[in-house]
Amino acid sequence: MSDNAAHPYRIYWITWIVLLVITVGMLAAEEFHMPKWFLLFFLLTFMAVKAVIIAGNFMHLRFERRNLAVMVGAGIVVTSLILYTYVSQETARIMQLTPR
Amino acid sequence: MHAAETALDAHWGGGTAPFGASWQKTMMWIFIVTDALLFSALLTGYGFLRHASAVPWPDRTEVFSISFIALMTFILITSSVFMAIAVTAANRGDMKLALRNVVLTIIGGAAFLACQAYEWSHIIHHGGRLYGALPGSELAAMGVPPIFTQAFFVLTGFHGSHVLSGLTILTITAIRTAMGKTPPQGIEMAGLYWHFVDLVWVFIFTLFYLL
Repeated sequence: MSDNAAHPYRIYWITWIVLLVITVGMLAAEEFHMPKWFLLFFLLTFMAVKAVIIAGNFMHLRFERRNLAVMVGAGIVVTSLILYTYVSQETARIMQLTPR
Repeated sequence: MHAAETALDAHWGGGTAPFGASWQKTMMWIFIVTDALLFSALLTGYGFLRHASAVPWPDRTEVFSISFIALMTFILITSSVFMAIAVTAANRGDMKLALRNVVLTIIGGAAFLACQAYEWSHIIHHGGRLYGALPGSELAAMGVPPIFTQAFFVLTGFHGSHVLSGLTILTITAIRTAMGKTPPQGIEMAGLYWHFVDLVWVFIFTLFYLL
């Protein structure tokens, strides 16, 4: 019998511990007085790591067919990038053109 | 069979389930993607307006109790573990364990919502309003820009409404499971939604409370 079949719920408690450790690390990061850019990079990186862990282990995305994972991941990431890099810049341009 | 159809089959290979999942699960994932785009737009708007704000962003530790927000995060992550266990238990045919864990998830979600209600009342008490800080209030004295309270109420409000929806879905699922009417897939769909709510909180927690 495989380890997963014998302890089917252990993966969730391990994931729980990993998520809590990352969260505590993110909370404590500011105490280390890192450069602002590094703190930003650190927090955004671990935010993404937590998201991938939740989607992969809790939502079982890593057990699904790859095309489903790609549809979900690419759909959200690409649209967010378009929103931030194009739409928000365009909004700024319109705000500058609009008399207030 | 025509040659063109044979060629199409060779490339397609997805049969009736291109994602290798039931239509219910596929539709749930498509719904999650569209809902994620809503939060993506909200967070992008928040990020942009914060970046463009002429008024300095307030020190979040002066406005919020970060340890309290960390407790809320802990509660939500823990409830997600119970939900994941419920889904696996249901898929293994152990509906009793599944039901017990769905109930634990509901308790966790209710505790999170109670914490959020407390936090909202705290901010409102100190002068936070959807349009900005109330003139003469403590938050106004701190120089909190209107976009700060707007972002707070909109982001946490939208997330809170999703938690409330999740609790409603889980309560119905729990009652139906107790009556023996929910198939394992029903618990799995409710679980996907609940984990999504947890996932969104990861972004709000980092981008609004930590940065």
